[in-house]
Amino acid sequence: MKVKVIGIPVHDQEKALKFYTEKLGFLKKIDIPLSEGNRWLTVVSKDEQDGAEILLEPSPNHFEPAKVYQKALFDAGIPYTQFNSEDVQQEYDRLSNLGVEFSMKPTEMGTVKIAVFNDTCGNNIQIVQML
Amino acid sequence: MTFYQKEISRIKNICYSNKSQIDRVVGTRHFIIHNFEKELNLSLLSRVRCTSKFHLLRLYKLYYGQTPKQYLIEKRLEAAKQSLGKGLSITDTCYEIGFESPSSFSTLFKARFGLSPKEYQKKATFTKSNHS
Repeated sequence: MKVKVIGIPVHDQEKALKFYTEKLGFLKKIDIPLSEGNRWLTVVSKDEQDGAEILLEPSPNHFEPAKVYQKALFDAGIPYTQFNSEDVQQEYDRLSNLGVEFSMKPTEMGTVKIAVFNDTCGNNIQIVQML
Repeated sequence: MTFYQKEISRIKNICYSNKSQIDRVVGTRHFIIHNFEKELNLSLLSRVRCTSKFHLLRLYKLYYGQTPKQYLIEKRLEAAKQSLGKGLSITDTCYEIGFESPSSFSTLFKARFGLSPKEYQKKATFTKSNHS
């Protein structure tokens, strides 16, 4: 078995696509129309285009428990998932300049440095750098 | 302060309060990053950080969840992908990144990425020509 796709629940797929590509710098990989305006929509890291795909899935709009779970994590400040970065401080500066809101500024925690931002689609996302 | 921030702060106090130990393992990792192509072993790494071999091994595993040797191999194999992608031969890549024999390099590469260096290089060249 291989890890190929990792889902992130989003309220609005088009808005999520804009955020993940225009702000985070990911690339759109797959975009297949499904029923009722939903899409099988994935993005990948520019640096790892054959790596795992992030599926921007509209589950909070269709499955109440997904919506409740996502909101509970968000309200507690808990990241839904995390991405690796070579330099968290640099990424924090870059994203802050683009207007991205951080609930946790770059913070050292032992052998890693982390920061947490709002993806504007209902999730906190953590970026992590191995020190 | 969010629940997550409180938890991070609490866990940090429990697990990462020993700054000198953390500096020691982070310094070891940085030494590997900057010298991975050289002949490195635990004796040398422990001398660099002025500690005993077994203490360093224990601390490194405690904080990074892997041994310095495992990290060294990982670092070299990642570098191998870069070199192979640039078109360097398998033998040249092997020696450039610090492995001593092409056969052990090929075995480790295949175990890590599921492709032999040759297969990887072929795929990388094909992908590159498709993108251009």
